[in-house]
Amino acid sequence: MFDIDWRGLLLPLAYLVVLVGTFMTFSTVYRKRKALESANLAPWFGPHLQRNIYLSLLHMEPDEGSEKSPKVPDSVIRAALLRRAVEDIHRIIQIRSAKQSCSSLLQRGSVGDDLWQRFQRAEKEMEEELRDVVMEANALVPGWGQIIFQSANEIAANKALRNRLEEIEAQTVQDKEWWEKRRASIKTEFMKELDEESAKGQAKAVSDDEAVLVDTNTPSATPSGASRKKKGKK
Amino acid sequence: MSDLEAFDFVPLQIDPKSKAISAAPNTPTSRALETELAALNALHRSLHALEAPHLVPPPPVPVNPKRSANLNKLRESGNAEYRKQHYAEAAKFYSLGLQMALTRPAWEPSQLVREEAHALYSNRAQAHMQLGSWPEAAADAEASVEAKRQGNAKAWFRRGRCLVEMGRLAEAREWVARGLEFEGEEKELIELLREVDGKLEEEKGRRDA
Repeated sequence: MFDIDWRGLLLPLAYLVVLVGTFMTFSTVYRKRKALESANLAPWFGPHLQRNIYLSLLHMEPDEGSEKSPKVPDSVIRAALLRRAVEDIHRIIQIRSAKQSCSSLLQRGSVGDDLWQRFQRAEKEMEEELRDVVMEANALVPGWGQIIFQSANEIAANKALRNRLEEIEAQTVQDKEWWEKRRASIKTEFMKELDEESAKGQAKAVSDDEAVLVDTNTPSATPSGASRKKKGKK
Repeated sequence: MSDLEAFDFVPLQIDPKSKAISAAPNTPTSRALETELAALNALHRSLHALEAPHLVPPPPVPVNPKRSANLNKLRESGNAEYRKQHYAEAAKFYSLGLQMALTRPAWEPSQLVREEAHALYSNRAQAHMQLGSWPEAAADAEASVEAKRQGNAKAWFRRGRCLVEMGRLAEAREWVARGLEFEGEEKELIELLREVDGKLEEEKGRRDA
């Protein structure tokens, strides 16, 4: 009664085997491709120069000729770590400001999925990086880990402010030159105007209307007013 | 840097005497590396100025009050000179104060630097205005606004006034309007805006005539 008809089952079994086999091949190929893709994703940030310098200082190679590798003083190492923390602050700020816009762009479908993946990877890497810096800091000076990012934050903010102030200062030099030229031209024009006025007044009283017309046509009327005011203040 | 241990090795060398780090000779260097190393060396030098028990920068607060006291003294002397109408001397005192404010160690609170610098810049702008040197005054006022945007109506007003004096009316109008956005209803600024508008109107009328 329970005699199985193997021959009759052959077809459905073969069907199952083909089906499962197709699924499996598809899934492995798909996964491999995806892994390759995410491995080839461009990193969000460029190379971390400060981190490279810090780690290079820790692994200084010996000079040619001498056996021992040069001793890097701890203060230099500490400075390098602080520089690294400052760069991390810049990156954190970038990530924070990009997050909102990035996710809303993704929701609207304006950017591709891979951009979001790159972003998330950058976020995770930053977390790791911060933890690493805190650990290094604590290893160098006990308790520094709690403070290093506060200091780095102030350093970054101070640097930004100084840069802006320097920009303004650089602009001033140009402004000054411009103003000197302009003041000279205003002065000559003003003097010319005065001369003309006096000459006309002497020559003929008939052309009074004309003189007024000429006056209003010259665009230098306001600047000359300004220079007058300035003279008054001096 | 997917791997925490991996890094690109940068060939570096250290000067045994000054402890300055520089790129190893005979290696290609980039400008980014050079500026970074310069920043690193500068930071290293400034770390040496730390007082004895500290190996690393202390937390930003509390601040050593010494520098702030000196700064205030300089500002007070500047104000005294200004009241005596010695404007050039006043500007000199303010400049000294500014130098002191801006050379504060980088890890001290930037908010404090802004607070101190904005007052000094604003005062120096006023002194320059009294001397009739508009471009300097305009730049100082702009720097003051840069250091502190809100609650700094005087600096907004001063740059606006300087631009008007230099005949840059369109620029002045834009600046004052922006100042009003930050300061809300500030009487001085509104009056200045009205004045600029009047002058612009005048100029336009003259051009059309």
